[in-house]
Amino acid sequence: MSDSGRPGLGWWLLILPALLLLLAFYVAPIVQVLAVSVTEPEMGLGNYERIFTSGSVQRVILTTLRICLITTVFALLLGYGIAYAITLASPRMKGWWILAVLVPLWISVLVRAFAWVTLLRRQGLINNTLMESGLISEPLPLVWNEFGIIVGMVHYMVPFAVLPMLSSMREIDPRLLAAARGLGASRGDTFRRVFLPLSMPGVIAAGVLVFIFSLGFYITPAILGGGKTLMVAEWISLQILDLIRWGLGTMMATMLVLAILVTLAVFSRIVDLRRIFGSGA
Amino acid sequence: MMQSFQQDCIDLAMQRFRRGEVDRRTLLAGLAALGVGAMAGGAAQAQAARKLVMVNWGGLANQGFGNFYGAPFVAANAGWTVEQDSTGPSAGRIRSMVESRRVTWDLCDSSASSSFLLGGQNLLTKIDYDVVKKENTLPVGFALEYGAAPYSFSSVLCYDSAKFPQGGPTSWADFYDLQKFPGTRLMRRDALATLDAAQMALGKAPSALYPLDIAATVRKAASLRRNAVFWNSGSESEQFLRTGEAVMGQIWHTRATVLERETNGRIKFIWPQALLQAGIFVIPRGNPGGEGAQRLLASMLANPEPQVGLLTLLGNGPTNPRAAALVPQELRKNNPTDPDNARVQVVLNGEWWGRNYQQANADFIDAVTG
Repeated sequence: MSDSGRPGLGWWLLILPALLLLLAFYVAPIVQVLAVSVTEPEMGLGNYERIFTSGSVQRVILTTLRICLITTVFALLLGYGIAYAITLASPRMKGWWILAVLVPLWISVLVRAFAWVTLLRRQGLINNTLMESGLISEPLPLVWNEFGIIVGMVHYMVPFAVLPMLSSMREIDPRLLAAARGLGASRGDTFRRVFLPLSMPGVIAAGVLVFIFSLGFYITPAILGGGKTLMVAEWISLQILDLIRWGLGTMMATMLVLAILVTLAVFSRIVDLRRIFGSGA
Repeated sequence: MMQSFQQDCIDLAMQRFRRGEVDRRTLLAGLAALGVGAMAGGAAQAQAARKLVMVNWGGLANQGFGNFYGAPFVAANAGWTVEQDSTGPSAGRIRSMVESRRVTWDLCDSSASSSFLLGGQNLLTKIDYDVVKKENTLPVGFALEYGAAPYSFSSVLCYDSAKFPQGGPTSWADFYDLQKFPGTRLMRRDALATLDAAQMALGKAPSALYPLDIAATVRKAASLRRNAVFWNSGSESEQFLRTGEAVMGQIWHTRATVLERETNGRIKFIWPQALLQAGIFVIPRGNPGGEGAQRLLASMLANPEPQVGLLTLLGNGPTNPRAAALVPQELRKNNPTDPDNARVQVVLNGEWWGRNYQQANADFIDAVTG
């Protein structure tokens, strides 16, 4: 670095090849694709107008937002419990806990989606068990709908919620909790007034990560949605491959990219984004 | 991407081969019939020979079409070879190939609607009915201006008879009647054949079905949305019915046949009101083999025995009028072009669909998804 503390010209030259490569092979093609949204089928904002006029476009956007929000809430609740338990566990147990969180990450998303189908379908394990125990007389509709998608997605997202929350909980000084107890706070008060506020940055970081990740989910909703409950990624592929409505598909892709950038922009003012994505620690 | 009927046939044949239900010889023969032909041309022959490229949808078809379609032609026409290409001749690919004026395909396994769509855009060569004999295929819908069909398939009503002890559905009106026949329905996520069934359910006579009322049929189909699941590939359609997720569905007759056999008749299907479709082959404009493609197509239509071979292997119905009599007795009830079955079906109007597919399919998908 130069004396002023800012990167000098030399440094910029060093990263220039990588930058050019990214511009030429990543940014340029993406811009090209997104540009299709204003040129097909004719020049103009006709495709964007459909956000306000087409019931199908509105339905897919609302469905996606609803599924993503519900998924985020449940992934955070479950993840918080797990992260809390790991933080308080003995060092040996911690290792096992973390292994248990990480193992599902290594199993193919396809395998997991099909495993949920086997569990949730009409003649699946859950429905069969409930029927045989006499609790229900008709199989419950657990899959091929939003419920099935949310189950599959929460399952996928919990580890992504645990890890940022865990790292922020680890930074909480345990002596603060001891001090609160020593000053007469109950267990509940200590958690509510000391631990919870201190862990909030991790919760927000995890929430942003899970929400953004969920927005672009493809395989899990495609398998568990029964072909009719579509999230935005599957809807885009349908427009591009089957309906040959490239303008409409790329319009939605542009909206997806914008939604992600806006979410990031808003939350970058609240939390340190570099920490979420694992750099600059 | 949506799986085409042709791709599914190949899946199905491969599955039966792996289970040992058909031997390798039959398999190869069947694939040949699908146009996946003569791989054994050899370099020596190719030098002197004139070559034709037949394009199929891949996998097993690559060998099967060659044996049933390519080989008989090569045997009768010394000096010619038929090569198989399994790129998958979608309408989009044919269009970009012809428009770029670099045509390498002679004969493509397409569909009636695509033949009208592409033909209307001047991208196909008209069938020369002096070479291709019209009387070698079915009279209505199988010999078109821009394509002719050496095989057929059908979209049938298939249902789980265990769910309906008082008797199953007998028409598309029953398919749409949730009061009389409660339970989840299964539809292809594609307007073609689905809207035709909806139109019949709306009460229009099968003999005067076209033109379809797109708005009304889409509304009708969407009325089942809450009680329906949708399939994209043939194996998916089979799974949904086999595992009881759906009590009835509109699926390809090839898959319905497998279901009926493997569930010992618990799952049944009916021919009345089924949508009979032509497996139309088209010739891209400016094809390298020129007039040879017409002669190859003529040979595919003229030879009934290989067409029956294809029925045995993959379930595709023959189209040569002499073929039905050659079909073994036990296969007749599963042959879509058996006279008894063909009479009660409705031939899908490829011309109407060629003009309306894109709009109707977009409307249909917008209405049932989201």
